[in-house]
Amino acid sequence: MLLEQVEYVRPETVGDALEILASDDGAAPLAGGQSLVNVLKNRVASVDVLVDISRLAELSSIARTADGGLSIGACVTYDALDRSPEVRASHWILGDVAGHIEDQQIRNKGTIGGNCCLSDPTNNLPPILVALGAVMELRSRSGERSVPAADFFKGYFATALEPGELLVSITVPPMPEHSGAGYASLAVGADAKALVRAAARVTLDEGGTTIAESCLVLARVAHVPVRDAEAEARLSGADATEEAVRAACAGVADGMQPIADVHGSSEYRRQMAKVMARRAVVQAIAAARGSRNGSTAGGK
Amino acid sequence: MTITSAPVTGEATKTWSGRAMPRKEDRRLVQGQGSFVDDGGMHGQGYAWFVRSPYGHARIVSIDCEPALSMEGVYTVLTGEEAKAMCEAPFFAIAPPPGSLMQEWPLAVGKVRYQGDAVALVLADSRETARDAAERVVVEYEPLPAVTDGVAAADPTAPLLYDEAGTNVVWHGVFDYGDVDWALENADHVVKLDRLHFHRFSSTPLECNGAVVDFDHGTGVVSVLSNYQMPMFAAMVIGPTIGVPINKFDFVTKDIGGAFGLKIGFFPQIAALALLSKKAGRPAKWTEFRTEHMLTAGHGNERTFVDIEVPVMADGTILGVKARAFDDAGGYLHYEPLGAVIWSQVVPGCYKLKHVRVDYTEVVSNKCPVTPNRGYSRMQHLWMIERIIDVVAHELGLDPVEVRKRNYVQPEDYPYETPNGCIYDSGDLPRSLDIALELAHVDEWRARQRELGTGSGRRIGIGIGSTLDSGTNNFGQSRIINPELPFSGNGEVAIAKLDLFGEINVNLGTTPQGQGHETTASQVAADILGVTPDDVTVSTGFNQANNAYVGFSGTYASQFAVTGLGAVMGAAQKLRHQIVKLAAFALHAEEDEIELVGGAARVRGDEERAIPFIGLANMVYTNNAGLPSELLSECDLNARYVYVPPFEVPDTVAKTGNLTLTYASQVHVCVVEVDEETGEVKILDYAAVDDCGKRINPLVVEGQVHGATGLGIAASLYESLDYDESGQLEEPSFYEYHVATSLDIPNIVCGSIESPSPFTPNGAKGMGEGGGAPLHAVCSAIQDAIGAGGPIVTDSHNHWARVYEMLHRAPGAPRNVEVISRSGGSDTDVKSL
Repeated sequence: MLLEQVEYVRPETVGDALEILASDDGAAPLAGGQSLVNVLKNRVASVDVLVDISRLAELSSIARTADGGLSIGACVTYDALDRSPEVRASHWILGDVAGHIEDQQIRNKGTIGGNCCLSDPTNNLPPILVALGAVMELRSRSGERSVPAADFFKGYFATALEPGELLVSITVPPMPEHSGAGYASLAVGADAKALVRAAARVTLDEGGTTIAESCLVLARVAHVPVRDAEAEARLSGADATEEAVRAACAGVADGMQPIADVHGSSEYRRQMAKVMARRAVVQAIAAARGSRNGSTAGGK
Repeated sequence: MTITSAPVTGEATKTWSGRAMPRKEDRRLVQGQGSFVDDGGMHGQGYAWFVRSPYGHARIVSIDCEPALSMEGVYTVLTGEEAKAMCEAPFFAIAPPPGSLMQEWPLAVGKVRYQGDAVALVLADSRETARDAAERVVVEYEPLPAVTDGVAAADPTAPLLYDEAGTNVVWHGVFDYGDVDWALENADHVVKLDRLHFHRFSSTPLECNGAVVDFDHGTGVVSVLSNYQMPMFAAMVIGPTIGVPINKFDFVTKDIGGAFGLKIGFFPQIAALALLSKKAGRPAKWTEFRTEHMLTAGHGNERTFVDIEVPVMADGTILGVKARAFDDAGGYLHYEPLGAVIWSQVVPGCYKLKHVRVDYTEVVSNKCPVTPNRGYSRMQHLWMIERIIDVVAHELGLDPVEVRKRNYVQPEDYPYETPNGCIYDSGDLPRSLDIALELAHVDEWRARQRELGTGSGRRIGIGIGSTLDSGTNNFGQSRIINPELPFSGNGEVAIAKLDLFGEINVNLGTTPQGQGHETTASQVAADILGVTPDDVTVSTGFNQANNAYVGFSGTYASQFAVTGLGAVMGAAQKLRHQIVKLAAFALHAEEDEIELVGGAARVRGDEERAIPFIGLANMVYTNNAGLPSELLSECDLNARYVYVPPFEVPDTVAKTGNLTLTYASQVHVCVVEVDEETGEVKILDYAAVDDCGKRINPLVVEGQVHGATGLGIAASLYESLDYDESGQLEEPSFYEYHVATSLDIPNIVCGSIESPSPFTPNGAKGMGEGGGAPLHAVCSAIQDAIGAGGPIVTDSHNHWARVYEMLHRAPGAPRNVEVISRSGGSDTDVKSL
């Protein structure tokens, strides 16, 4: 692997893990290792102690909450999300997004917690978790706190986690009635990093013809997933039609400065943000009307 | 162990050549039992790690190795200056001046010329220690302005990579055939294009480069276990530099996980490792890592064509082409400027262009050195020709299928001599195109295209790529670059041996890396020796100790079916002759009465009079008392044969001659759907029709077609290697460089025709490289989707943002194309031109 010298510990309990994380500034949790190990291999960052939490049973379960939502352990793998009947039953789209991350080998190892805590702007799960109104459950030696996903991602490789704090689970609230979610990405290749993506959750009125409420999240236009409040406002009360959505999304990403690279300019990404936003919302509307909870399924 | 003493019933009389057999080597490869360079090692070896430049262009001010040397486990560090002091000469230069003044040593000396250039080499007791130590070698650099554009590099005001050369131009030459000025004056139309750009990419082998090198102080022997694909070329280049004669090298290869020509480029690393081993007194093992590979292992040639002018008659007959080409070799000349002549194997592409002038300039720049890369140098030129064909059709309102058919070399024209004296051996391009159009369901897609119309947000495009895969080089073409070079012709070696217990063994000079040589060589030998392919053992890889090599040995340039199998046929026939002679003696029969069946020799019509191969081997190896000495001296059961293709030295002044023996052809048809909102391109249908003459194993051929097609599609849509102005590679890892996977590559429908080559021992033509047909076909399809009046596809790489830009370019914006028409167009009598 060609890592620098690093210590490795595998605590038996979450409490033990928290003790180690609190007592050593250079300690970092290791879950699936699909991002962290690459970072270490490329020597972009270094840690002194890897605290392997991947086998802690408490962090690896998916449970139904009293209100019908989900509680997902931080070490639940993408593959487990993809194959979970619980997830599919109430939040189809989460399984769908997880099931399209990279390849099967990576999905066997990579975890929802790792995907969030690295806070790489290209990661798949943060925007959909923000759109679904998820809450990150953090724990440290001194106690527990809950942080909405919308406030958790602070920047490129930066989150709300304080030193010694561990993400233990993610709570996803139940989908309101007449709701659906959508997710659209533009990528260079089938399993490549996205250039731009959008995630949307939409609640329709009872008749299913008007958008009552929505949450529209853009990713890769900034270092963290961002809600587009102006577009949400325009969507609110709008007809649940492609044309109305197109009009509401026309101003998406205006004034933002997405990064430019060899795969596309900032301007191209701004234009694509509008397209992905519209596609995500249209998908969400279809899902809200359809039988599948949370998604029309299929694509990324 | 197989002892072929008993006939294999029923199998013995079958013909094995021409059969679609699964590959013998696949069993070990798919079971994880392949043996690759990193699986090997030598006693007492240390692990090497290169210290590499973070700058694209910089002066090396100082190197401090002390912090690394003081680490526990570090054996030694070799710097560029030290390495140079151990050398007798810089690497052999292919170019005449000024290119020959651009000297290269095993490690950078004085300055670095591209990001990743090697400045020092560390040897330690583990990879981890070596890597840690490399980070502690302190190199002080003084950054210099960089040049990263091939056309700009040729400008006299550009930053110079080699002050001593006084220019960045490596080589310049004009290839002028027919009378293109006359054609431009007399054509009904002249289509002019400002610029076409063929981008940089790599075939990204699964296995990166690697070598274990030992410099034995006792014997002076340098042992090189590596995945280098042209071992004796490396020996000839590095031997004079590090002062080692050819017979003191011991090159060995084993399984190789893809090479594509790229593994011709790392001889400097092998030389540096030999010096490191010499200094440390122990073997040095180096396994390249992916980012190191992306930065330094070699990229394919990037070529920019400017001032392109195409004379066309009113009926669509294309008279020729005039263009200037700038080829960017990167920071060092690892195999260049051979690319500057290799493209001229296919001057008119698949067409009867009579008047061609290409003013060709090759430059160095602050980028990774280029190496041959599948489709080497011909693909770039063929892409330009195919672009021209489409643009002509597009601009003159002609059907691209008809323009191709009108201008193709026709089946009755073979053998066809091109304007520069190359002989196209055989083929049927119109038929190949018809088959490809049918396999890709083009009629249905045309209907669907019309149906979609405008306003759907989706567009369908249909594209064609017709190419040649020229195989079996005449190395005499290198003299067109430098008349002083002592190279011409080609050749390959095989040794067929009946071993002590009658086993059949074949050794080759080739370095297979997925081409199935063990299988096809077995098929060919089995037919000649009257056994099954399973009875023939073909040694894996290259081993210098086998003595199965000439200077050209290796696996490259689509030639195994001709040179490699030509050698196998020759060696097997020689061995057969000896077997027959021995059997006739043993069986008291005439030689023409002997037949070989099922691993035995017997008298035709009298099956009881037979002797198994083990018996013949016994007579020669372990039981030879009393046998006639003439018989023993003629029959050592160890037959070495060198196949040499028939070539003359080209005319280096006129730049003419037969540069390659065979011309396989590929016609690909691609149907795409383009998303107007995003520029995404999705392939809906894809057909590849290959004509490589007689196929020894159609399954192997199809596998090669799949591979070449996948790489071409990947390059056209996903893979590009770009540098910023300071010389930083923008895609140094798979995070940025999206290597296409099975998810990106569509189902490929293969078709084939067989036009046997009249020039080869078996009617086969080399194949495998392909001529970059997918790049041509995808560009052509995108052009078709953009439609008449839209921008011209001027780049070989078209990622989504680029396609989006073309779809949304403002009306009236430059289209990079101009058509000048004379009044009163006329039909053309092709023969009169």
